Amino acid sequence: MTARAAISALLLCMLPVLVGAAEAPDEGGPEFVMTEALQEMLDARDDQDAPIVDEKGRSHFEGLPAHAKALFANAVDGEFIGSADQLGVILSLELDSSRLELVLTNNCLLCHSNPGYQDPPTLFSLDPVAAGSPPYMDLKLILSDTHFRHNLSCAGCHGGDPTGEMDHDHPDEWPAEHDERVDDPKWIPGFCARCHSDVKVMGRFNPGMPTDQFDKYKESHHGRALLEEGNTRAAQCVSCHGVHGIQPASNPASSVNAKRVPETCGKCHADAKLMKDVTLDDGSPMPTDQLDEYRKSVHGRALLEEGDTGAPACNDCHGNHAAAPAEVSSVAQICRTCHARNGTLFDGSRHKEAFEKNEWPECEQCHGNHAIDKTSDAMLATTKGALCADCHDEHASDNPECKKTAAHFRDTILGMAQATKEYASISHGLAERGLDVEPIDDELRSLDDTLKLSRSTIHAFDRSDFDEVAAQGEESARKIRSLVNAAEEEYRERRGGLLIALAFMLLVVLALWLKIRGIEREQAGGD
Amino acid sequence: MSNGDTRGSLLRWLDERYELSPLLAYMRHKEVPVGAHPMVWYYLGGATLFFFLVQVATGVLLLMYYQPGEATSYESIRYIATKVPFGWLVRAIHCWSAHLMIVSLVIHMFSTMLLKAYRPPRELTWLTGFALFGIALGFGFSGYLLPWNELSFFATSVGTDSVKSVPVIGHWLLLVMRGGEDVTIHTLYRFFAAHVVILPVACFALVGVHLLFIQRQGMAPPLHGASGRKGMPFFPNFALRDLLLWLVCLTGLASLAVLLPYGPSLPGMEWELGAKADPLAPAYPGIKPEWYFLWIYQLLKEFPPHLFGLEGPELCLLVVGLLMGFWAMIPWLDRSARRNRPSPAFTDVGFAAIYFLTFLTLKAADLGVAVVPTTPEETAVVAKVCAAVTIALAAGATMLRVGLYDHDWFVLSTAALVHVALHGLLGWDYLEAGAACAAAAALIVAAGALRRSSSSSPGASS
Repeated sequence: MTARAAISALLLCMLPVLVGAAEAPDEGGPEFVMTEALQEMLDARDDQDAPIVDEKGRSHFEGLPAHAKALFANAVDGEFIGSADQLGVILSLELDSSRLELVLTNNCLLCHSNPGYQDPPTLFSLDPVAAGSPPYMDLKLILSDTHFRHNLSCAGCHGGDPTGEMDHDHPDEWPAEHDERVDDPKWIPGFCARCHSDVKVMGRFNPGMPTDQFDKYKESHHGRALLEEGNTRAAQCVSCHGVHGIQPASNPASSVNAKRVPETCGKCHADAKLMKDVTLDDGSPMPTDQLDEYRKSVHGRALLEEGDTGAPACNDCHGNHAAAPAEVSSVAQICRTCHARNGTLFDGSRHKEAFEKNEWPECEQCHGNHAIDKTSDAMLATTKGALCADCHDEHASDNPECKKTAAHFRDTILGMAQATKEYASISHGLAERGLDVEPIDDELRSLDDTLKLSRSTIHAFDRSDFDEVAAQGEESARKIRSLVNAAEEEYRERRGGLLIALAFMLLVVLALWLKIRGIEREQAGGD
Repeated sequence: MSNGDTRGSLLRWLDERYELSPLLAYMRHKEVPVGAHPMVWYYLGGATLFFFLVQVATGVLLLMYYQPGEATSYESIRYIATKVPFGWLVRAIHCWSAHLMIVSLVIHMFSTMLLKAYRPPRELTWLTGFALFGIALGFGFSGYLLPWNELSFFATSVGTDSVKSVPVIGHWLLLVMRGGEDVTIHTLYRFFAAHVVILPVACFALVGVHLLFIQRQGMAPPLHGASGRKGMPFFPNFALRDLLLWLVCLTGLASLAVLLPYGPSLPGMEWELGAKADPLAPAYPGIKPEWYFLWIYQLLKEFPPHLFGLEGPELCLLVVGLLMGFWAMIPWLDRSARRNRPSPAFTDVGFAAIYFLTFLTLKAADLGVAVVPTTPEETAVVAKVCAAVTIALAAGATMLRVGLYDHDWFVLSTAALVHVALHGLLGWDYLEAGAACAAAAALIVAAGALRRSSSSSPGASS
């Protein structure tokens, strides 16, 4: 009894502690105390007596954790948030607390998004066009910027201390005069390279990222034009990556994402005005139809229409930071990075020597460059207008054997393609009749593989190499033919068996009927 | 010793032990009535029995190779259909016979109903027959899943899903059927057990009782009494004719199985194996059950999500339950037939049921459009075509009824057709049209009953 009383007393004594523990606030840290200035801004009304911070913004504020609310209070007290309008704009972004922290501890951004302090050229807003600001002064853009999100913030490029006073010196590389900065972008590549060429700096943010972009750029046509020739129209970092909305290439919204590269390059290269006076190495004017041609090409359709990011964009052949038109001698090497087998076959072919002699760019000579179309068996025709025929008529008309070889390639391939199509249809028909078409379909797949391989083997331009591969197709076709014959024979047997069974059953039915008639006649006679 | 002597002594030997003489005497005298209606209706039960026996035989053969299981069900059926000698034939016959069994069963049931063969003393024969109909549907539903292919998987998912709308025990029933919340391989194990053990045992027992009743009571004579013609001896005349029909059925089955091994490609009547079931793949539109479930499938679609405070499907299954209950109780409800008098109203019930089922089945099969209808306009076209076909068929049937059988009572069948016309041709809502027609028919029937009672009362008093 005493022990029970003691335990009860102990529990009673502990009750306040237990209750206290149960009621302890969930979060650590100081509680938020609403300031008068912040409350005033949240409640402020415009001339029409409508709330300036809308309902959505206020409810977003209510849902924020205490430390984020306290940051708002601090920013208002320090007058970095100077008006209810500015507060409404920040709340309308509906940022989560960690990104809010980036914004509310960045005095540069707060000051430069305050219309009370800034003129349009230096004001960040939700709609820079309407505010009369340059397009890169977009608040949403800067908040999505990979540098900003990695806490590099404004000071990373512009210098100064975002938590300190406003007056500061810009980095040495930063041209002091606005006109100088804008009109002559020669300083930009070197400025970006301060970090992007520094292994140690990049190691802190993105150790996997290469640091040779500037070196490559200096060697590129763009780099040489800008840095050596002083051509300010030449592309530099900002031309492709943007300014305040820079995203990693893996982000689909990035201007350098694989699917957006053609459009980004086309911004200049499809602009006849910008490309005026720009010439190729041979002095001919730079064409501006590459983007149109690419869009229609087999690569362009695969990348832009089917979303196949394995298909090459401009940079896959021309390079990106080291962008340059591919040399005649290297075009084929670039194609070989994907089409390796065709390249190797070509290297061993008799065409190789002829192409070198004529300084023809191998693959491009037959397939084109930006407008590469899907290959077709019609290219092998020996009639006028077909690829092989036209070239040979012009350059090798003294060798009739070539045309015969092309005709042989074409006939063999068309035969194989036709056989694949026909047997697929026969197989379907046999399957519908309930026959086992699995072995036929297996062999059909093998025939289809051989067909593809034969098309590729054409690049050896050698009859015996081609025949060696195509022979497998003939073997497959022969096997299919015999499997189809066997299946059709089986179907005939099934029907034959049915006929015999039907005849037998009919006889039994007839006999039974006669038996019934006999019995009934007997019964009728009996009656 | 001659053959006849051997048979005679064997019979004697058996008779001494099992007293077969009375049984043989009974069978010698058993007769099949030869009456006013064609005898063809007497053979349909036998044909159904034949298809059932074919199912047993082919089912046992399939069982020798079929292996239920996630990695074996589909593969073993594929193996049967492609590699096992005559496996394709056995599977094709099993599938064809399954459908033909239900076809002959349905015709048997409707002929029994329209000829009033259910009247006393054969009420229990009707009831056991009705139970066998339920078992046949169970066979169809459980067997459908066993190949574990894409179509059967999704159709079973949809089919078992509607079970959850059974009032009160719906969810429990769903769990029992599926062996869990979803259709999994455990569902297949259950269906397999039902298909090859539970249902066959129940079916054999009920077929035994059904046949015993028929042998004991004989075939039902026509309603209008004996035609005056002498009956046909059951043995050997009728039994041999039955055998003849069985042989014809076997011939038909063999031909169909060889020439159309995957079925006639009608909605709900094809069994090409297709792709293996993938429980993670999304169901594609236009999944339909077997043809004999199409009417319930369509009726479920005609009900709105909520009606009278109940879930639509729940109410639909209640209605189906009531209709089934009415159908089972017909021998007791049809009081005229019980007194061996013509009962034109129940004949008309039969025709109304045929029109009702025909329209719903055709509509579920999307008759009139090439692909699954997706827009309200396409659905309206389907309803219109189905209504026109149903009405045309009904017009033919009515001409036969009037011309050949002197039928003169058409209230319910007319109500069923007006329902079809209002919905299909004039675009009324199916349920509203149904309610209006049911109310009108009820009023006419009640008015007729009142008139009869008032006209018979003075007669009775006088």
